[in-house]
Amino acid sequence: MRCKRCRGAVVIEVRRHNAAFCRDCFFHYVGQQVTRAIAKHRMLEPADRVLVAVSGGKDSLALWDLLLELGYQADGLYLSLGIGAYSERSKRVCEEFAAARGATLVARDLAGEHGYTIPEAAGKGGRSSCGVCGLSKRYVFNRAALDGGYDVVATGHNLDDEAAVLFANTLRWDTAAMARQFPVLEATRPGLVKKVKPLYRLAERETAAYCILKGIDYVVEECPLVGGNTQMRHKETLNRMEEESPGTKHSFLFGYLERAAELLRVADVAELAECSRCGMTTQAPDDPAEAPVCAFCRSKARLVKSLPVVEVTAG
Amino acid sequence: MLVTARLRPPDRTVEVADVRRVADLLGRLDVLPGAVLVIRDGTLLTSQDELRDGDQVEVRFAISGGA
Repeated sequence: MRCKRCRGAVVIEVRRHNAAFCRDCFFHYVGQQVTRAIAKHRMLEPADRVLVAVSGGKDSLALWDLLLELGYQADGLYLSLGIGAYSERSKRVCEEFAAARGATLVARDLAGEHGYTIPEAAGKGGRSSCGVCGLSKRYVFNRAALDGGYDVVATGHNLDDEAAVLFANTLRWDTAAMARQFPVLEATRPGLVKKVKPLYRLAERETAAYCILKGIDYVVEECPLVGGNTQMRHKETLNRMEEESPGTKHSFLFGYLERAAELLRVADVAELAECSRCGMTTQAPDDPAEAPVCAFCRSKARLVKSLPVVEVTAG
Repeated sequence: MLVTARLRPPDRTVEVADVRRVADLLGRLDVLPGAVLVIRDGTLLTSQDELRDGDQVEVRFAISGGA
């Protein structure tokens, strides 16, 4: 087996493209996939200020590295979730990544700013730890981008993430969620920042390989709260199908994006409004007399009420 | 011949005897090749690469969960 581009010694196979690459040609392939994603969906303009949501994991650090290499003005955003030693190590990895490249890392803290950590929130208010974590991150990323005057928020969602989410939404025929699943979400209202997923053409095995071959130290350990969650189970199912038939995940996701996403988007008639508590954009309530409250504010109110009150004495 | 394989996450180490290629090792570990990367001396091995007696490799799972 030889490298598809240069006939050199191979370090990785990419079976869905019937290809194998040496180290340098693999970097070329990864850069090309990201450049294609950005160009096809007009994700970024050269002068954009980009805020990359980084967790310390392989995908977000690979993304940050790639955007810096491609010459974008990309700062990182790390949100402390309060998951003990795991969060501390994740933050340290992001700080070291930024320091080594002279890049800017913006740090936010969920407990300091909103009064709860993810372990405290897990299972309360009807949301799983992953559910409340996702909700909190989406909210804080948007808010941090607005506060910092960024044009775009970039996240490290890869082909496997997107295929697994589409799979879950399809199993439930959650057409409203499907309609919002796209590699780019434009800022359709004031208060919303454009969101992009430049890694959606790359499998997560490829983003991990990119980090290993580039010497990027990422957090290999899995989040201690994630164990056996639904997305992991869906990924395992899709990976078994992929093993038998390479390209299954790619066709599933890309077929959707090219032929079905637009149909669902047209049918998605969700009306948006301003949250009466925080001013961010949310879905308008069915009853026009009801004050709009976003999912984050509703969830936070339930959580903070359920947490023990700690008295702080001044002085 | 004996190969030492460190699997993570979660972190654990196993010894596997009589595996000639990476594909044989993954088969014995009952691991899907498309879900992992096999690392030796800081670089990646493909499923067809040969293993040597005393090799120490890492089998790193590339799947991560999320919201």
